[in-house]
Amino acid sequence: MEAPTGTEEEEEERGNGFSVSAEERDRWIDRAMHMAQEALESGEVPVGCLMVYNNQMVGMGRNEVNETKNATRHAEMVAIDQVLNWCLRRSKNPAEVFQRTVLYVTVEPCIMCAAALRIMRIPLVVYGCQNERFGGCGSVLNISSDDLPNTGTAFQCIPGHRAKEAVEMLKTFYKQENPNAPQSKVRKLNGHKR
Amino acid sequence: MKKMEQVHCPGDQHGEGNLVPDPELSSWEALPVLPDHQTQGVELVWAYAIPVLDKKKTSRLVKEVSAIYPLVGQGHLKRVRACPDKTSPHALEILLCLASQGGDTVEGVRPLSELLPSGQIDWSDLGEPYLVHVPAHPPFTRAQFEEAKLHWPTVFHENKHISNALQGLLFSKEDKAKMQIYMEKAIHTARQGAERGMKAVGAVVVDPATEVVLAVGHDCSNASNPLLHATMVCIDLIAQRQGRGAYSFNAYPACTISPSGDRAIPLPAKSIQPGVVRKYESRQDGLPYICTGYDLYVTSEPCVMCAMALVHSRIQRVFYGASSPDGALGTRYKIHSKEDLNHHFEVFRGILGTECCSLDQKKQGQQCVSSQL
Repeated sequence: MEAPTGTEEEEEERGNGFSVSAEERDRWIDRAMHMAQEALESGEVPVGCLMVYNNQMVGMGRNEVNETKNATRHAEMVAIDQVLNWCLRRSKNPAEVFQRTVLYVTVEPCIMCAAALRIMRIPLVVYGCQNERFGGCGSVLNISSDDLPNTGTAFQCIPGHRAKEAVEMLKTFYKQENPNAPQSKVRKLNGHKR
Repeated sequence: MKKMEQVHCPGDQHGEGNLVPDPELSSWEALPVLPDHQTQGVELVWAYAIPVLDKKKTSRLVKEVSAIYPLVGQGHLKRVRACPDKTSPHALEILLCLASQGGDTVEGVRPLSELLPSGQIDWSDLGEPYLVHVPAHPPFTRAQFEEAKLHWPTVFHENKHISNALQGLLFSKEDKAKMQIYMEKAIHTARQGAERGMKAVGAVVVDPATEVVLAVGHDCSNASNPLLHATMVCIDLIAQRQGRGAYSFNAYPACTISPSGDRAIPLPAKSIQPGVVRKYESRQDGLPYICTGYDLYVTSEPCVMCAMALVHSRIQRVFYGASSPDGALGTRYKIHSKEDLNHHFEVFRGILGTECCSLDQKKQGQQCVSSQL
């Protein structure tokens, strides 16, 4: 009931026998939205995310690409590292924690992050708006649900939570453009792509 | 081989004479991993053709038809063809317009009065329109051109780079010798990682313009960080070389970078390999934006995460040895040439394929995919 995507059979297969109530979902996605808003106000890509285990926030993240000069430091990747740290400090087994952790993120994870979430075996992702440029949960590729036996496990997605707000934030940000990124080739190529 | 002395990197003290050169060169081939639309058969769409009844009026008709249906985006299709049916009463046919967007769904034959409403063109010189199959896209390779023109006369501007890649003419013997040395370094690093209990995957980042090895890394993934694949390690090492980065690899002495201070000035254009476009962004430190302009050599095909990380990092070219079952640069996906993405790069597989294949096999029990050269 809580998870409109994926069949019951798949759920049993993955053994993710937990569910999140609508109220819980709203509460956590609200916090993620606040983080994205903060990021926007400090000139960062407005993506906020947090990871919840046992009704407790065990990791959060926002984009750190410019600070680290490492283009893979997306909010989700930062949050994964925080959860790993959390596990280390509490001598928890990361595999057990991640298998029962829900990711709340304002924008659909990109292809890279979707693959990382598979490798970590996170079972469920609740997100806001689609990621038309890089999305890995259906927009560009379907990494979340494709059959990839050597890349962790597939995960479920619950999209569309406060999508409009998330899109608005992205639009506001891209109007300013990322001063650190090189000029986009996409627009130039549009005419003769393929 | 004198030039190779420029390849320096700290931690390069592995003097086991493991750089076995030339005799091996012939045993592998750098195979291009091209996007599907460059290698597949010709995709066809339906279009309307109209017989020209009075041959003398062809040029006027072409002009008038082109004004109404300019066929924007179908510049590869010639407007007129000689009728393939020799018994036909007319000799020429004009291509009018596409019948539908998709290749399969046809709207059904429409009469001339509908396609060219009266007043626009004098119908008396035209026959009844009929449906033909035409190539949907310009041909990239000669093979595609030969196939395309069987359906409708097609313009062909051969893409020399793709043709050369397909014929294996892209790399000289010298290039191959360098590629082998870089991949040998990646293999050596993979073994160093394996000795410490890591997965035997190694990677090397090279600046092809200066031939300097910038970073060397191996897979560092374990239970406490399952995402540190060799490619991810190298991406962070390049960030560290640019004064930033997110991880510490102090525990892994084989993961090293060359100092960024001595970055050589790019050599004159002559020495730059074909297909290499130098793109230094004007940044204060003189270093490029993340991995712009750099090549990655990695012993096995990157996974989805690593492949997309390379897109985000703006890598220029990737050379890998062995294919991976869920590989994202050829096997399961071709993320490097995915049209919707904002950066594309070239990929070649099979560099020291056999050696790379044997690296990680025992551990993963994987089949060696890359030996199907």
